[in-house]
Amino acid sequence: MPSQDNPDDRIALLQGTLDLLILKTLRLGSCHGQGIARSIQRQSEEVFFVDHGSLYLALQRLEDRKWISAKWGVSENNRKARFYSLTGKGRQQLVEKTSEWQRLTRAMGLILDGRPSSEEV
Amino acid sequence: MFKRRRSADDFAEEIKSHFELEADELQSEGLSEEEARHRARVEFGNAQAAQERFYLRSRIVWFDNLLHDIKFAIRQLIRNPSFASVAIVTLALGIAANSTVFSWINSTLLDPIPGIAHTSDMITIMRGERSEHPTPPFSYLDFADLRDRTQTLSGLLAYHDDYMAITGSDKPERVYGTLASSNYFEVLGVRPILGQTLQSTAPNERLGTAEAVLSYGLWQKHFGADPSIIGKTVEINLHPYTIVGVAPEGFQGCKSGLQSDLWIPLGMESQVWGSDRIKYRDTLWLNVLGKLQPGVDHHQAEKELNILMQHIAEQFPDAHQGPNMISSDPLWRSPFGVNVYLSGTLPILLALALVLLLLACANVANLLLVHSVARRREFAIRLSMGASRRRLVLQLMVENVLIALAGGGLALLLTMWTAHGLSAFLPATTLPLSLNGSVDRTVLVATIMISLLTAVVSGVVPALRASSLSPVSALKDEALNSSAGIHKSRLAGALVVGQIALSLLLLVCAGLFVRSLQSEQSSDPGFDPNHVFLAYFDLRPVGYSRAQGIQFDRQMLVRLKSLPGVQSVTVGDFAPLSFSIRTDFIQPEGYVPRKNESMEVDRGVAGPEYLRTVRTALLAGRDFTDRDDAGAQPVSIVNKALADRYWQGQDALGKRLQVAGHWTTVVGVAANAKYRRLVYDAAPLVLIPMLQSYRTDQVLYVRVAGDPLSYASSVERTVHGLNSDLPLFNETTLAANMQLGNAFERIEAAFAGSFGLLALILAAIGVYGVVAYATKQRTHEIGIRIALGAGKQDIFRQVLGRGLRLAGFGVVLGLMISFALTRYLRGMLYGVGTADWLTFVIVAILLCVITLIACFVPARRAASVDPMQALRTE
Repeated sequence: MPSQDNPDDRIALLQGTLDLLILKTLRLGSCHGQGIARSIQRQSEEVFFVDHGSLYLALQRLEDRKWISAKWGVSENNRKARFYSLTGKGRQQLVEKTSEWQRLTRAMGLILDGRPSSEEV
Repeated sequence: MFKRRRSADDFAEEIKSHFELEADELQSEGLSEEEARHRARVEFGNAQAAQERFYLRSRIVWFDNLLHDIKFAIRQLIRNPSFASVAIVTLALGIAANSTVFSWINSTLLDPIPGIAHTSDMITIMRGERSEHPTPPFSYLDFADLRDRTQTLSGLLAYHDDYMAITGSDKPERVYGTLASSNYFEVLGVRPILGQTLQSTAPNERLGTAEAVLSYGLWQKHFGADPSIIGKTVEINLHPYTIVGVAPEGFQGCKSGLQSDLWIPLGMESQVWGSDRIKYRDTLWLNVLGKLQPGVDHHQAEKELNILMQHIAEQFPDAHQGPNMISSDPLWRSPFGVNVYLSGTLPILLALALVLLLLACANVANLLLVHSVARRREFAIRLSMGASRRRLVLQLMVENVLIALAGGGLALLLTMWTAHGLSAFLPATTLPLSLNGSVDRTVLVATIMISLLTAVVSGVVPALRASSLSPVSALKDEALNSSAGIHKSRLAGALVVGQIALSLLLLVCAGLFVRSLQSEQSSDPGFDPNHVFLAYFDLRPVGYSRAQGIQFDRQMLVRLKSLPGVQSVTVGDFAPLSFSIRTDFIQPEGYVPRKNESMEVDRGVAGPEYLRTVRTALLAGRDFTDRDDAGAQPVSIVNKALADRYWQGQDALGKRLQVAGHWTTVVGVAANAKYRRLVYDAAPLVLIPMLQSYRTDQVLYVRVAGDPLSYASSVERTVHGLNSDLPLFNETTLAANMQLGNAFERIEAAFAGSFGLLALILAAIGVYGVVAYATKQRTHEIGIRIALGAGKQDIFRQVLGRGLRLAGFGVVLGLMISFALTRYLRGMLYGVGTADWLTFVIVAILLCVITLIACFVPARRAASVDPMQALRTE
């Protein structure tokens, strides 16, 4: 059973982090909403719980900001799906947001543990 | 961005595809198809909510809400037609009062001279003492000097207007004409629609050129809108003029409220009227208007003109012995024309109309309060369903705005009719008055603004009140809400107190204006206006010379006097109290004027037996007779005011008095009479005999026994027996004709009176509504009290007492407001003080009585409550 057995272990995403995760996911190539959700959950070792409603609204928001673009297409298993891909502006944002996030986690790590936390997102 | 917005359907499609993809994946992980589908949905969470959020963020939400609110509000209003119609009509009355007065202000004070290019850059220039009835203040030579020397004005024009006649056909047609300086149209920025202006006459300004510009109306009426009119000839006072232009529609000349029919060059005055005023520096006959240079204000211009005038006066001291101070005014309060009277009246009327509107707002606010209590359940349900308080207030405000706009629309319809009401107060007159309001774009916009303001004033408090209730208590039994009810009725009570106070203010103003008009009309004008027939005629256009005219007058007077029923007959160049008396400069024997004292007094030219015909008492000496002619010694009659001013304590009889440069001997002293307005104190007046100082343009006075108008045909027959081509204008009676003299007081009284009456009705409705509502709310309580033994009398008295208490507070508040505000009316009242106790007492009693009557029905209803039923229904 790949999905979450114990929902209490999951962490609701912090405000603003979802955008970054979406951008990061899309860096590897275009993907549809369901794929992005799965990918985020899988990559976070099922710790993150993605509220799907928020995800789609976030996708819409990023699309409105022209950080990502969307196109209806067909999935591997022949389902109709809306595919998202990073735009140039989105790539730039990813770099900025990543460094911002790293600065934040480093600072948090310093305060909480007295040492910088691992530099991985 | 808006165009590329995704549709909500597209978004829903995407979510659907998510379910399918997720279900596929779950299935591939080993779940059954059904389980996978279910799981996908559960995992997603609330898809509906996501779609809603998408919908909300991707639409102009407020616009959707607004559309919805409007639809809902219209349904609400249709469902409560009586509430809606009472509210709409109430507001319509209040708004119509304002839009009517505004339409008049708009077309008089805001647009004093229609059709000119730069109203705000134009100033009128006055010289000498200011008064409500100034004579034209400049001579031609002074005007020409000022025009040539001024640096602050980019143009200075002069004009003189009076009656003329278009002759050449069988009967002369009387018109009101203007003698205009050659730059007249250029300074005003008025471009003729056909032909050209009088500009080309400039080199001949003093001599004049026989050219004429027609008004649009005259061109339409008299010349059938002939497109090839230019170059044709029109005969004015028996002389041919070449028509060089047609003025645009709407342009009426330089005096507010007066329509000029044609314009001819200044220099033609000798030809038109046989005078030669243009030659003299001390003959004042021109009105002057200036156009300010850019960046110059009228104070700077005034300063410069004063300096220039000072130089001229020093250069020609003999011609400038009177006051030479120059003052300037923006056009809206020009002392020339009708605005000078309206500029005092209309703002006060607007203030009264605003008070009435406030009253209407209070009434509607009360209605809304009562109405919202009835809808309490609806609000509670909406609040508990998650509607925000803001949405609820907005919803109610939309309803109020709809009501107010409907009221405003109705008011506009009313205004289209009442805008023309101004002229209803003016009697048929020979004055070329063009006074009227109309509903134009400015009035439309103003009405809409007033309506919206009304919606806010009347609606905000009820809306906030209605939305502030707690849904839980409202949804429970209504009986639990009596505390909210009491709270509301306290607010309603305050509104009623305010209403009574405001209507008291309006009624007091109405009372003061009506009493002022009464005392004016019952005041003694100094002559007897009853049983006098009046007719106007002008001998010049039918070709009479001075000698022929005098001969005509003599014959006419003799023949008319022999008609049965005719007691006496005379002529004059004026009729009292119709803005037709003129002025002249005098020099009384033995009186030394102070430096620059104005020696200008009212001057009338009167025929034999003038005093006898109008029945003005002769204090000493004699009336004019038919022997006071050119062959006899020049004589004059003065009134008591003149004798008292210049010959204090002396016998005026036999004194010598110079009038307009000619010495006369005073042969009579008449009692004071009113010639301009009844509200003015009698001013010094000198009369000179028609047969010595002949004027062709005359008013015929015939004192008769019985109804004067029944003599019209016999008078006409007699006059036409002497000359069948002489038209008699404006056949009327002296009493009717002098109505013009108090037209403005009648306008004030009529409007203040009707506003007061409306205020009374609104206040009565307000009191009734609140007391009836409060009584109905307390039916339960009253039932209990009756069941416990309270008598019907007690209940009746209690309800009545509540109403009277409100009235009492309102009256006291209203009296305080009235005492504070009525003093601003001081200048407009005649023969009555601003704190006229009789008016205050009558109005206060009237309001209390009306309140009692309004409370009577609910009190009766309360007293007849059946306790059993009252207790059961609640």
